[in-house]
Amino acid sequence: MCQWCMKHGAGGKWYMNAKNYSNELADSLLAREYLTEQWRNFENIYIRKIMGFSSIDLGYKLQMPIIGKLLKWNAEKMIHSDSKNRKAVRGDGHFGQVIPLEDAKVILGNLAAEPIIENYCMCRWMQRGIKECCCINFGQLSGVIEKLPRFIPQNLQYKISREEAIERIEKHNKRGYIASVWFQPVPYINAICSCENPECGGMRLRSDFGLHTVYKSEYAIKVNPDKCQACGMCVQKCQFGSLKLVPSLKRVIVDPMKCWGCGICRHACKHDALEIVPRESIPGLRGIY
Amino acid sequence: MFPKKSPKVTIDYAKCGEHGKVDPRDCTKCMKACDPAIFIIHEPVGVEQDPIDPKQWRITAVWTSLCNKCLKCVEVCPEKAISVSWS
Repeated sequence: MCQWCMKHGAGGKWYMNAKNYSNELADSLLAREYLTEQWRNFENIYIRKIMGFSSIDLGYKLQMPIIGKLLKWNAEKMIHSDSKNRKAVRGDGHFGQVIPLEDAKVILGNLAAEPIIENYCMCRWMQRGIKECCCINFGQLSGVIEKLPRFIPQNLQYKISREEAIERIEKHNKRGYIASVWFQPVPYINAICSCENPECGGMRLRSDFGLHTVYKSEYAIKVNPDKCQACGMCVQKCQFGSLKLVPSLKRVIVDPMKCWGCGICRHACKHDALEIVPRESIPGLRGIY
Repeated sequence: MFPKKSPKVTIDYAKCGEHGKVDPRDCTKCMKACDPAIFIIHEPVGVEQDPIDPKQWRITAVWTSLCNKCLKCVEVCPEKAISVSWS
């Protein structure tokens, strides 16, 4: 469990706490106003100057002596902000966590507030110019996105039921997209995405620049050496390069520090050799999200 | 003491973007050709336009520290608007 589970999890995982999905919470955070401003300006988030710095050439800026450290500290403070005066245009208080398919199904089946919609992925549009309908949003965010025509698919039913949402997340997951759940703004939860690395705006900042915009999941992958047949199908699925086929060992090895625990690789395994285990059960990964 | 400078990826907005012939939203060829996905498509900051459905867009190279100097973007741009330089 990470610090967000302690704060907003009511004794469990933060995304399993029904209170974080409630309309009352959203109203108390003025979520509708926040989300409207954020989504109208989303593509500008990396271009806009924040305290004199934009994200342009962030890799260089973060490596500068002293200034780099200050920038990183300040950026993470903003990303995790739960103060009253956070600014929607810079995405203050918007971050998430990777989840396996099982948890995504529980959320969409039981916790997500209606109405549920599926719209074009913001990040893939912003970073690749691709419009792909794979982001499942719910609660007060649905009404906000509905008013922005660039995110609403033309020839596809975008208002969906719980059952359809579960069906679609399963389809995306099996295609190789990583399920993730998002605070927007913390602690209100209103999105389950099917992400791709590095096209996802959050994963880009985490995997390339080490900023905690996305946390790794509560799980990690484990290979059963007796069942693994060294076919290597799972290696192609991993978007973080944590799996490697070792021909002499005739099996796949895992780099646990690189594993985000999304569980995508399991869909490729025909021999039932991969399973996800709680992150806390692997000594070296305890507390590392 | 200072880190290595990133490659400079510049886009000529007289050829692409709100003043060019091509609407970047219909092209996005550079964004798809770039393996590390360093480009972002966005509304120009500070330009007043319809917040519901903005019509003016431009592309900027944002994650230039990840540029691997393959020059695929230069090759693929139909307007020859992109240039890449490094020292």
